[in-house]
Amino acid sequence: MNRQSRALLFILIVAGVLGIGYYLRTAVAPPAAPLALDEGPAAPAVRGGTLVASLRAEPRSFNRLTSRDYATEIVAMLTQGRLVRVNRATEEVEPWLAESWTVSPDGLTYTLTLREGVRWSDGAPFTSDDVVFTLAAVDDPRNASVLATSMRIDGAPLAVTAPDPRTVVVTFPTPFGPGIRLLDNLTIAPRHLLGDAAAAGTLAEAWTASTPPGEMAGLGPFMLVRYEPGQRLVFDRNPRYWRTDGRGEALPYLDRLVLDIVPDQNAELLRLESGQIDMVQQHLRPEDLSAARTLATAGRLRLLELGVGLDPDAFFFNLRPAKWASDPRAAWMPRAEFRHAISHAVDREAFANTVFLGAAVPVHGPITPGNKTWFSPNVPRYGYDQARARALLEGLGLTLNAATGFAEDAAGTRARFSVLTYSGNTQLMRGAEVLREDLRAIGVEMDIVPLEPNALIQRMLSGDFDAIYFNYFATDTDPAMSKDFWLSSGSAHVWHIGQATPATDWERTIDDLMTRQAASLDHEERVRLFNDVQRIFAEQLPVIYFAAPRLFIGVSSRVTHYTAGPIRPQLLWSPDSLAVAPAATP
Amino acid sequence: MTIGHYLLRRLAFALLLVLLVSSAAFLLTRLAPGDFTIEQGLTITAEERARLAADLGLDRPLAVQYGAWLGRAVRLDFGPSFLYSRPVADLLGERAANTAVLALAALIVATVLGVPAGVLSGRRAGATRRVVRGVSLLLLSVPPLVSSLVLVWIAARTGWLPLGGMTSLASDGSWSGWVADLARHLPLPVLALALPVAATLERLQSQALAEASREPFVAAAVARGLSWDRAVAAHAWPASLRAVLSVYGLIIGALFSGSFIVEVVTAWPGLGRLMYDALRARDLYLVAGCAATGAAFLAVGTLVSDLLLRWADPRLGGGGVSR
Repeated sequence: MNRQSRALLFILIVAGVLGIGYYLRTAVAPPAAPLALDEGPAAPAVRGGTLVASLRAEPRSFNRLTSRDYATEIVAMLTQGRLVRVNRATEEVEPWLAESWTVSPDGLTYTLTLREGVRWSDGAPFTSDDVVFTLAAVDDPRNASVLATSMRIDGAPLAVTAPDPRTVVVTFPTPFGPGIRLLDNLTIAPRHLLGDAAAAGTLAEAWTASTPPGEMAGLGPFMLVRYEPGQRLVFDRNPRYWRTDGRGEALPYLDRLVLDIVPDQNAELLRLESGQIDMVQQHLRPEDLSAARTLATAGRLRLLELGVGLDPDAFFFNLRPAKWASDPRAAWMPRAEFRHAISHAVDREAFANTVFLGAAVPVHGPITPGNKTWFSPNVPRYGYDQARARALLEGLGLTLNAATGFAEDAAGTRARFSVLTYSGNTQLMRGAEVLREDLRAIGVEMDIVPLEPNALIQRMLSGDFDAIYFNYFATDTDPAMSKDFWLSSGSAHVWHIGQATPATDWERTIDDLMTRQAASLDHEERVRLFNDVQRIFAEQLPVIYFAAPRLFIGVSSRVTHYTAGPIRPQLLWSPDSLAVAPAATP
Repeated sequence: MTIGHYLLRRLAFALLLVLLVSSAAFLLTRLAPGDFTIEQGLTITAEERARLAADLGLDRPLAVQYGAWLGRAVRLDFGPSFLYSRPVADLLGERAANTAVLALAALIVATVLGVPAGVLSGRRAGATRRVVRGVSLLLLSVPPLVSSLVLVWIAARTGWLPLGGMTSLASDGSWSGWVADLARHLPLPVLALALPVAATLERLQSQALAEASREPFVAAAVARGLSWDRAVAAHAWPASLRAVLSVYGLIIGALFSGSFIVEVVTAWPGLGRLMYDALRARDLYLVAGCAATGAAFLAVGTLVSDLLLRWADPRLGGGGVSR
């Protein structure tokens, strides 16, 4: 085949593919409908029906006490119960299996009254014994529970007693500001099914992903009835579920809920579009928003705006003193002024438009406007000002070398560093490219090193990095629930993890403020103390933030009575009230 | 050499291949940066991470770990999966069967499409050859991710086929219902897997047939009075098969080891996805188990290919096979 024939063939094939695509698009597109954004329930929910949602990965276990992966958490949310629930839309604590509670004057002791007549899905009665058992199993080191650390206050366990079958007394070792909110994390486990395994220290081997569904029981709205590995999980209504709606009708409304395992996000959106799934598990990527808006306008799905996300991408330098002991950049790179210069170099508006394709708002700290209770707008900001950035660099002894276009110190060491980021994450890669260009404009050279997540975290933990640009998910809006980030001894104090004693004065101050903030029972005082923390954090800028995404999620128009929140799972967090509209009859 | 000796030799080769590949997977995963404790992210403290490493035996020297694993693996016990807290053998059993179904179907489709297309384009010049080769070139040029997504997109637009998965929820549970349901789910991943393989086979077959057609024995057959088409069919095509069959084993091995991209996009619950998840999480024993299964498939594939090659070209028996 000569070159001319090949070119002709290529043109014909491309034209054919485009033609078929256009035909298919126009042939099946339904008539246009107005864009629907966050439609609330308008009519009473219809009982019955099946809802299909997607899940990106399959559960590693059905045991939430020993597995922390997201899919296991979703399964627990559907099948298990908690004493209290944090409403993901209002951020308020709601009574759940505990219908009420009282607090002692010192704020240390909570006396919870359990709902009457609640039964496990296998028919066994739920009592305070189950709560005591669960907390003991979580705290037993032989069980290696993933909830163990989160159920301790400053390293000390909660004391739990059960004076009678409907009463649980929980005593905190020290005052704890979030108080009973902590129990939102605790999935209650059935003593009658898991008691032996916990006593033998083999809880991790109980309720694995190969356990037959009939051998498990829960207090949630659904029961797992079928697990097809790699394909789907099927849940049926738990007929013994305790909750009713405002009309006294037993919940959940759905007969069946199916989680289809769809690992690829592109395929997930296509399935949503074609009606093979009703909702996705996670907010849409910026690059998918345009297509989703078109589909929403065409009435093929409903696009819900969830507000500003709680998880801005984070950029931070390595601030471990050991890292800089023999590094020629030690005189300027770990300095706060250098971080201020980096912050000044970035045009956050342009960053939001380029990296998030417009679906983001500029931010200057880890607490975004999406966190309504704890966001403080009154923190120092180092906004876009390249002249100021260059002046700060000069103050650090970094002057521009006209020949290279990059800043250098007196010894000729160039202002250059490498940044690790997740490979394959298009948003982070776009962000890193924008940062590189912005920094180049002030004479700082940044090399991008994409790594797969495991390798990146390993480098972070070992301190083998200059800077990192990555993201992680918030699990709670209350800062006291994220002390591992704020405290210098914390496992997520990313710029200098796990310090024995605070390495700097400002970290010592934040430690002190956070300890007081977490221990205070006065909300106003907690807000004030945390505002101080945010101010110091913004001054020192150990982590630099540029933009927080505006979150959108796609849902089929047949789904009703959903309540969306900014923390994932954005829709499935309240599964018992979800309903589907009945199919139209001809 | 008798056929029995031959098969014994091949079995020994297969065992050695499985051992080498799974050992390499084990050692490379262990030596790569990070381990399974890193999978827990920043949610655990350094002490908890150290305890977890000790519980999983990851704190032991590499040689000790490898020795212990090898001792179990030779008894077909690949140990537990860190990710799923289940025996690796159970996970492999679930997924290898799914991958085998997909791979077998893809192999059949690729062969049925690729070999005749190669014969067509290799036999005569002209417009047909140009079109067939052009399509082959296109199929070979498109990355599997794109071709898979295009197929899923077409399925989404038309509604002709399920967009993914292996079976549907509505399957009635009967054997015939299951087969019918499976048959509806197969075309998408099978086409995504088979089309590039078919294109490869077409190129090989076409080139081999064109070369074989120029051999003197084809000219001699025509001189004896056979038509050109008969001479090509009876003499050139069997001779050309050797080139095709020589890579058939590799194709079988590659298909049966699981295609990660196709399995992810079409949500096929196979070995490729399992291995990818295991690699990301540094699930040491699961990675080694997946690699061993892939190597076993490769060994079987090359054996099948060699047997087919011997059938197509008896000279390869080297006089050793008892006749």
